[in-house]
Amino acid sequence: MMRRDLVILAVLAAAALALPYVASEFVVSLALSCLMYAALASSWASFCGSTRYLSLATAAFFGIGAYTSALTLGTLPWLAAIGLGAAIAAAVAVVMGAAVLHLRGTYFAVLTFGMTELIRHSIAYFEKQVTGTVGRVLTVVPERDTIYLTVLGLAVAAVLAAIFIRPSRFGLAMAGIGADEQRAETLGVDTRVVKIAGFAFTAAFAGAVGAAMSVRWTYIDPATVFNPFIGFQTVLIALIGGAATLWGPLLAAVVFSLLAETLRLQMPQVYMMSLGLLLILSVLYLPGGLASIRWRRA
Amino acid sequence: MTLGAWAELVASGVITGGVYALVALGLNLQYGLMRILNIAHGEFLMLGAFLTWAAQTGFGISPLVMLPVAFLLLMALGLAIHRLTFRRLARTSADLDVFEARGLMVSFGLMFLVQNFAQWLWGGELRGYDYLADPVAIGDARFAANKLVLLALALAISGALIVVLRTTLLGKGVRALMQSPTGAQLVGIDTERLHPLMFGVGLGLSGVAGCLLSMTYTISPAMGEPYTVTALIVITLGGFGSMAGALVGGIALGVIEAVGMHFTNPSLKTLLSYGIFIAVLLWRPNGLFARR
Repeated sequence: MMRRDLVILAVLAAAALALPYVASEFVVSLALSCLMYAALASSWASFCGSTRYLSLATAAFFGIGAYTSALTLGTLPWLAAIGLGAAIAAAVAVVMGAAVLHLRGTYFAVLTFGMTELIRHSIAYFEKQVTGTVGRVLTVVPERDTIYLTVLGLAVAAVLAAIFIRPSRFGLAMAGIGADEQRAETLGVDTRVVKIAGFAFTAAFAGAVGAAMSVRWTYIDPATVFNPFIGFQTVLIALIGGAATLWGPLLAAVVFSLLAETLRLQMPQVYMMSLGLLLILSVLYLPGGLASIRWRRA
Repeated sequence: MTLGAWAELVASGVITGGVYALVALGLNLQYGLMRILNIAHGEFLMLGAFLTWAAQTGFGISPLVMLPVAFLLLMALGLAIHRLTFRRLARTSADLDVFEARGLMVSFGLMFLVQNFAQWLWGGELRGYDYLADPVAIGDARFAANKLVLLALALAISGALIVVLRTTLLGKGVRALMQSPTGAQLVGIDTERLHPLMFGVGLGLSGVAGCLLSMTYTISPAMGEPYTVTALIVITLGGFGSMAGALVGGIALGVIEAVGMHFTNPSLKTLLSYGIFIAVLLWRPNGLFARR
């Protein structure tokens, strides 16, 4: 099972690696957005899918990463800026997780959403009052291929981490928490530590992706990088693909990015409406996600 | 500050607070009774506001006439939505926690759907109309007449809902369901009928709130989300399912915001309300979220 997954991943990664050399500018930018959501959704599903803690805070970590690289890219080298973005996002996740991870279900979802908005408004307020700007223009921008390779690396790392975490002690502990938290605790799992570590793990990926993607836009402000929609779409992709499965989030990320890029420019509202409809339909009729259709046969 | 200035500040806080309480009523009913945390609440409020605006500017119909119309139209919509989604959800979910999580996702979907439908239909710009906009002097302070009408109606509707829940048989059934769904079914309360009805009433109340708000504030398809957040804060402050608590919580929030904004600056408003929200949730999550 694990060997098969690794082979699939290697083939996919090789195909994605060859893409910038053969495909047009448009296709590469499409692939970049696929990879971004693949990394976000896979890392989200590793923690939230197995523990069933519905985090809406992805946008917060993404934004923190984006701001970190925007502020430090002039002084730090590219990879260091991304690493720093991941580290700060993970540190924020540890603090946030320590405060809210004792709450389950709706409370957790609503609180993470509230905290994302609080961070966004705080940064917007700080920028307006103290630094006197609305957004920031990025002047030092790496080449397109550098960004592409970095995001590809992050996506591969997210899936790779998911493959190795699943059968590990850590992964089993998270799955145990998702099945029955009290039982897991009785059986000796330190649920608090596992949950905070898992939350920080997803946050680190979201922060790194945010740091890598911010340079794509060359201009960032709190409203774009902390857009709650980034969080929603990540959750949506993971849920529709199947949050408890390995390949579901990846599959759905590709489908959605294609849908988004083709529909969004011509008919943005129709895209958003179909997104809402798809979410409702998948929650109602496909609770296990796209990937569960094939799995059921076995 | 003089006493008069204080009175005016607190009074404007109470007026805003009355609006908050009104906005929270429908969501309170839906979450308190059925554990449907309807994130799309503000979007339905926006629909009510747009209906009223369209009737006022298109046909010159008074917003006060539109009040019951908005209620009935949105209630019908609520019944349809419940029938299409939440009924199936309740049947296929293993337990209440699963139902709650899936219900939350469905309402996120509804939020996308309704908000973008409105944007597609009416465009994204701000709209408004004048209705009873002349100021009325009370003592030294002056308030717009429509705001006073808004406060009076908000208090009247909240009061009516509290009385209905306290005194009628229907209200008794609703309260019984809030306390114990299984127990209520055991004594013969028809959940299959009460749930859709109350979901519809919840949506109808959000339509009423939107209708009243359109008299005083400008409206746009994106107006819903801040109201959803406000409603969440209010029912967290007041305790889920408690109508009287939401009324007090709403007015308290209005006054806190008015006073807080006066002493700091207006751009801190959202920061302040999110701060209060998170503080309350962290400080008393079970006491406020759990039914008493």
